[in-house]
Amino acid sequence: MPQSSPPPSREGSSRALALLIGVQAVCAVFFLGDVVADLVDGGGMAALRLHLVIEAIASIALIVGIAVELRFLLEMLRREQVAARSLAVASGALADVMQGLFRAWGLTAAERDVAAFTMKGLSIAEIAGLRGAAEGTVKSQLAAIYRKAGVSGRSQLVSLLIEDLMDAPLLAREGAQPGNGLETSGASATMRAGNH
Amino acid sequence: MQREKSWDLFVRVFHWSVVLGFALNLAVLDDEGAWHERVGYAVLALALLRILWGFAGPAQARFSAFPPSLSAALAHLGDMARGIVRPHRSHNPLGALMVYNLLACMLALGATGWMMTTDMFWGVDWVEELHEFLANWAIFSVVLHVGGVIAESLIEKRNLVRPMVTGYKDATEKTKD
Repeated sequence: MPQSSPPPSREGSSRALALLIGVQAVCAVFFLGDVVADLVDGGGMAALRLHLVIEAIASIALIVGIAVELRFLLEMLRREQVAARSLAVASGALADVMQGLFRAWGLTAAERDVAAFTMKGLSIAEIAGLRGAAEGTVKSQLAAIYRKAGVSGRSQLVSLLIEDLMDAPLLAREGAQPGNGLETSGASATMRAGNH
Repeated sequence: MQREKSWDLFVRVFHWSVVLGFALNLAVLDDEGAWHERVGYAVLALALLRILWGFAGPAQARFSAFPPSLSAALAHLGDMARGIVRPHRSHNPLGALMVYNLLACMLALGATGWMMTTDMFWGVDWVEELHEFLANWAIFSVVLHVGGVIAESLIEKRNLVRPMVTGYKDATEKTKD
């Protein structure tokens, strides 16, 4: 199954947000340390007290801002993972539909490989190279595939797949349809996200 | 319950010595006293040893077992937000960032502290300010570190402090490499 990564722009924005939070945390620690030091040193002077109050309010506002950003970041990360999983479920569904079609047509193992490569858009020469077979062999396998599927060529073959996908529940609603065989691909997505 | 080896003796002694050193220098010892300096240098030496250990120590203690990665840390944060638990062979990616942060902080604290004793930087304002800021940053980091350990322990439903004391963790789940 091809590995798909979540859209880079989204990942980039969560990284940027994390960095921003880091920078603001540095600032917050600096300002808060300043407030505490001033309090310890000479909180008694009236002029300093007003200054301190303003500084403290600014620091607290900054900290509240960081907390809000942190919440936002967590929400973003959660959504990112859900999106990544839906994508994996979708590609899992695609593979399932493909295998289902191949079974229905009664393709041999070699023909299944060739059919999958064809659907992915590889040329006869490329498929022959990948499989280490003569082009003539691939051609006759393709002919068998088209005959078994009852189509005249590659574009019709792909159309069959798309047709099937259109009524298949490609993007299952979040947690809506248990037991349709898509959980396994969801689980593998969870495993995959853990690799780093 | 089966027991699996976790943090080695050096890492554990290092960890708790640093805890002690930080606590002494922050709360007990006089900021301008000779013992503040001595403890500071001791912590600096420990940090340098830990860095050596990060290249030459056992597998779990090596930096290669917990490379710094913001995206991995964010992925881990996402897992935490969703309550997903994945075993890690060393520090988790978020904890790894904290380790680097604290190590850098110790080095910088030691460096600025030493600078204050030299003729060139003695009484120079920005060095002192920086040293104080770094101390504050260390406090903040420690609070975050302790909070993270507690949060992670609650989510994973296992005591993460115990391995740092005994050197063993409960091997109820297989550690994935």
